[in-house]
Amino acid sequence: MTGAPASLADRVSELRSAFDRAFAAPLRTETTTKIDLVAIRVGSESCAIRLAEIRSLFADSAITRIPGGNTALLGIANSRGELVPAYRLRTLLGLSGTGDSRWLVIAAAAPVAFACEAFEGHLRASAESILPRQSSGRMHEFATEFVRSGDVVRPIIALSSVIAALGTMPDAAASMVTQE
Amino acid sequence: MSVFSNWTIGRRLLAGFGLSALTLVVVAVVSYRNAGLLIENDSLVDHSHEVRLALENLLSEVTDSETGSRGYVITGDDSYLEPHTSALGAISNTLADLRKLTAEDPEQQRRIAAMSTEVDAKLADDKQHIDLRRSEGFDAAAKAVATNVGKANMDKLRAIVAGADQQERNLLRQRTEEAQASASMTQLIILLGGLLGTGAVCLIGWLITRSLANQIGSAVGQVRSSSTELQSAANQQASGAKEQATAMAEISTTISELLASSRQIAESAQRVAHSAEETANAARTGHGTVDMTNDSISGIRRQVDQIVSHMLELGKKSQEIGAVLDIVSELAEQTNILAINATIEAAGAGEAGKRFAVVAEEIRNLADRVGGSTKEVRGLIEDVRGAVNTTVMATETGSKAVDAGSRQFGDLASAFKAIANLVTTTTEAAREIELSTKQQSTAVEQVNVAVANVTQASVETETSAGQTLQTVSQMVSLSKDLLRIIQPHMAA
Repeated sequence: MTGAPASLADRVSELRSAFDRAFAAPLRTETTTKIDLVAIRVGSESCAIRLAEIRSLFADSAITRIPGGNTALLGIANSRGELVPAYRLRTLLGLSGTGDSRWLVIAAAAPVAFACEAFEGHLRASAESILPRQSSGRMHEFATEFVRSGDVVRPIIALSSVIAALGTMPDAAASMVTQE
Repeated sequence: MSVFSNWTIGRRLLAGFGLSALTLVVVAVVSYRNAGLLIENDSLVDHSHEVRLALENLLSEVTDSETGSRGYVITGDDSYLEPHTSALGAISNTLADLRKLTAEDPEQQRRIAAMSTEVDAKLADDKQHIDLRRSEGFDAAAKAVATNVGKANMDKLRAIVAGADQQERNLLRQRTEEAQASASMTQLIILLGGLLGTGAVCLIGWLITRSLANQIGSAVGQVRSSSTELQSAANQQASGAKEQATAMAEISTTISELLASSRQIAESAQRVAHSAEETANAARTGHGTVDMTNDSISGIRRQVDQIVSHMLELGKKSQEIGAVLDIVSELAEQTNILAINATIEAAGAGEAGKRFAVVAEEIRNLADRVGGSTKEVRGLIEDVRGAVNTTVMATETGSKAVDAGSRQFGDLASAFKAIANLVTTTTEAAREIELSTKQQSTAVEQVNVAVANVTQASVETETSAGQTLQTVSQMVSLSKDLLRIIQPHMAA
């Protein structure tokens, strides 16, 4: 019991010093080209999305369910005053899993929200670390690349291809997306 | 014969030899009586011969007196008077003997009296002649002799003596006849008695021999078969006695071991009694200790209740910390979302948003760290809550255990009382066992001594059985020999 408080105190001290260093350090300029990625979990699969394809990220946003036969469509969500359709990403990608899809990723290319199970962090990877992905199945249609972060290999989901796929679906919301 | 056959051997022998002895006794008595009669008769014969000899001597002495008187008359020589002088003394003695010998015969006494008269007259006549020769000479004396007075006296004397002698000869003849009759009777009795005794002995001997041969033969046969059976029995007895001696030796060994075991049991019972007393003391002490422990358990029960209360309070505080931590975590998450969105906006701002992007990244990093720390703290709080729950459950379990322990200690106290009582009973029982075992040891010692005696007796019985077997074998052989002697045809 004596070790834990000391460890917490060290952690707090470390956090404080890191926070102070952030304001004390001079502004750095990026010399290398980095690609920003958002690490998420879709179903039970750890994935990544290019930050450039995302307009915003929300959690626990209210979703209004609407009638329809599309099982991937959760409903309509409010994104900064704009109504956007919200799809369950794991259903669209054909992945298995359970749990509440409480995170909403708003696509930059179109006003569409994709619900995922967890937000796992922000990745900054070099262009060389992004490699083409060799696989088959429906997942391969939307993730042709992958990035390695630590020991985890994350497929990079191309939201543009997902949005393109939504255009072929005979759904009202999907047609609404395609009309815009 | 049926009566005779029922007689015992001793009675038969007694009857047989008694009859023979009776015959001999009759013969002996009769012979003795006849011998006595013969001896008495012989004595009487001798007596008669003595009387006759005395009569002859009297006549001879009177004749000597006459011869001396006449010689002196003729010669006048005194030396011729010596026969006369000698005869005077002898005649009186002879007459005295005759009176004595015929004292029981009155007729002879009367004759002797007559003889004495005649003798006295003759001696007086002789004396007269001698006196006349000496005083008046030969002639006067011869003249006196020639008077034949003396001759007449002698004739009378001879006649009286002849009569007395004739009576004695008659007595001799009568006694000789009686002696011969007695001897003949004795011979006849001896002959008849001998024949009768011999016949009786032969008859009795034959009867006894025949009956004894039958009965003794039968008895000997039975004795032989009985001896054979007895020999078999003696064999069995010998083997049985040997087995018994062996068994008794084993029993003696076993009893010795039993005695040692009894002594060990007595010692153990003594130790048990001692231990039971110590246990009783310990039980009483334990009872006091149990009471003290019961009080301590009550204190522990109160302390445990307080611990449970504190731990429940700690769990509640942990939940509150968790709630606060949820807020912190949510804030960190929101901060992270804002940072991400700021990064997105900064990227959309182009070159002007790069500095903002850096700041947003720092904020996001800080939010990440806060989120990580929040997770760690949540983990720790969960651990604390888990520990608290575990502790509460363990404490409640401990409380229940304490309650159960308290009840069990109550039961234990009762059990200690019961144990103390039982130990007291056990102590008494152990003492009784000790006493009983000592008595048993004494009894076993006595039994051991008795068994030793029995063992010795068994050995002696074995020896005796061997001797009995030997004796029985000799008896069998003896019965065969006896049967061979008595009934040769049956002995084969």
